[in-house]
Amino acid sequence: MKITRRNFSLTGGALSLSFLLNGGIIHLSPAQAKERALPYQTLTPGQAALIDLLGDAIVPGAKSAGLSYYIDHQLSAEFQDNLLILRYLRVPAPFDGFYASSLAAFESAISQKYNKKPRDLTETEMTAFITAMMQSNPDGWQHAPPAPFFYFVLRSDAIDVTYGTMDAFDSLDIPYMAHIEPGHTWEVNP
Amino acid sequence: MTISPEKIDVVIVGSGAAGSLMAAKLSQAGKKVLILEAGPERKLQDLTSSQIHARRLKWAGDAVTEQGAQPVGNGFNSGYGTGGSALHHYGVWPRLHSEDFKVKSLFGKGLDWPINYGDLQPYYDRIQQEVGISGDHQAEVWRPDGAAYPLPPVPAFQQSEIIARGFTKLGKTTSPLPMALNSHEYNDRPGCLWDGWCDAGCPTKALANPLAVYLPEADKQGAKIIHQATVSRILTDKSGKKATGVTYRTAAGDEVTQLAGMVVLAAFAIQTPRLLLNSGLANRSGLVGSYIMSHSAASVFGLFEDETAPYMGPTGGQMLNQDSYDHKDQRPQGFGSYQWMIGLAVKPNDLLGIGGSNPGLFGAKLTDFMKTAAQHFGNMTACVEDLPLAQNRVTLSTETDQYGLPLATVHHSADAASMALWQGALEEGKQIFKAADAREIWTGPLGPMHIMGGTIMGETAETSVTNSYGQCHDIDNLFIAGPGLFPTSGGVNPTFTVHALALRSTDYMLKNWSSLT
Repeated sequence: MKITRRNFSLTGGALSLSFLLNGGIIHLSPAQAKERALPYQTLTPGQAALIDLLGDAIVPGAKSAGLSYYIDHQLSAEFQDNLLILRYLRVPAPFDGFYASSLAAFESAISQKYNKKPRDLTETEMTAFITAMMQSNPDGWQHAPPAPFFYFVLRSDAIDVTYGTMDAFDSLDIPYMAHIEPGHTWEVNP
Repeated sequence: MTISPEKIDVVIVGSGAAGSLMAAKLSQAGKKVLILEAGPERKLQDLTSSQIHARRLKWAGDAVTEQGAQPVGNGFNSGYGTGGSALHHYGVWPRLHSEDFKVKSLFGKGLDWPINYGDLQPYYDRIQQEVGISGDHQAEVWRPDGAAYPLPPVPAFQQSEIIARGFTKLGKTTSPLPMALNSHEYNDRPGCLWDGWCDAGCPTKALANPLAVYLPEADKQGAKIIHQATVSRILTDKSGKKATGVTYRTAAGDEVTQLAGMVVLAAFAIQTPRLLLNSGLANRSGLVGSYIMSHSAASVFGLFEDETAPYMGPTGGQMLNQDSYDHKDQRPQGFGSYQWMIGLAVKPNDLLGIGGSNPGLFGAKLTDFMKTAAQHFGNMTACVEDLPLAQNRVTLSTETDQYGLPLATVHHSADAASMALWQGALEEGKQIFKAADAREIWTGPLGPMHIMGGTIMGETAETSVTNSYGQCHDIDNLFIAGPGLFPTSGGVNPTFTVHALALRSTDYMLKNWSSLT
């Protein structure tokens, strides 16, 4: 049988994740999961809020694209099914400790520099902090992977969820040209 | 529980480029062949067009610890599952040059291969006819002797045409990139649609990955493949000079002994030496694991006034320049060879995507950049030679897998001359982009590209692990296949050479079958 794009293409959504809800599995995009305020599986609500706050400051649009749900979902996957950029970057699985320690260091460093919670930073303060963390560990950043590395990883995650979907390609006027659209085969067993 | 199925002719460890080819050829010759693949089964229908989904194709087996100043990037460069690394490879298939085989003799650096280009040329020619390489051998003025490509070249889209202006202005030459990617239908495989999803695995068979070419042929000839079968030991007779088979673990954890007349290790450049070291075999030289190499990727990026359609074309590029290949000792700085792959198709996300190219941008500046770059981005990558060093090697870790077998540790720190060559390539790249009128130019960090060495071939048992056929010096019926055999890296993508070497080894096995087994 000759395989062409036509008979490979599937209808369906873009980035979809599977959730076990009320005894059944539903498929939602990270953005839809956020809209429904579904419970997180691995992250605490506080960690999720920090991911969305910092991720959206680095890649505008990441929060509404469901960054925290995307990361949370992947953290609960088996390593061989995990889709996080971290699997390329010599960080041993499981990855939840990577995010937990980095977010704690982020909160601690913000507190030390500004005596504030991260959510209370002004835009100027957040920009200055991100500029600093790109280059070296800010004061108070401890017991965590290097700040520039965490910046790189979270930025990559945020770009994935914000720009890696079919809708996002369309918004950039890039034709997706899928052989096999991601919607039907994206799900990871919950 | 130990299960002992009946003895077969050949057991092949790994289903990547080399393993799949050898399985096809040996089963075609009537041999009973079994492939043991550590990863899960992949089918064409699994190859979803997504840079995020593509990550499932990369290494997820036993943990590998990486050390050294320039780690080899096992997590990105090694594959996992049917087709191995070749399932996500980009199909850039240039040949090594004559100099690559005699680096030590010609320049007093690195190593020599036990063969020369002339020994391998007929196999390059046979493979390209079977697989169907697209290219223009006359425009490729640097290419060593060989048959014309069977397919016309891949098309050049705006991105590569715009960048090529810079090469031309500086008096440099460009040609179509030789690719194992059908420019039109060939051998019942369709032509490419130029949509840039190569890294996610090509489900249409336009790109010659193992699922498209040699695994279907092996299957047709009766070869079997077992997935999630992790080989733990190579077995030998009492003399230790003849391999008798392997033991492996199934997905359920059962230990299975598979007896075979011939054993082929094609588990890539890290797991093959790990397996030999764990088995305590083929290491009279003490060099099992040594001379691990990885090409350094020198990436140059730019924004252009013209629209570039950077999402069109193959992921590996559209055009080639090898002006800095021959005469390895005549580079402005450093030592070795490199080639430019020009106009790589990009997606917005992932390590090699538009967003990843410029990691210093965030916030509103990133948003603006993404919008502009989606239509005006250009890039090219140099594949830069890495000199072989004995201290760059795979060793056994003190950590073990779930069955108590030591894991692999890989140390790699590039030679200063290789690093200087990489730096020189970046400088040249910036000049080319400037000449092409890029309005913004930047470069990427060093990225490891391909993994080679670790079980090198050579003339003697004292200086190498195998002979030129991949046959272990110490054990006649134990063969190694894949890029681990390379004594030097050259400055070209390795997959075409992996195929040519595997075909040569297979011819040798079949010709000498009775004496080897």
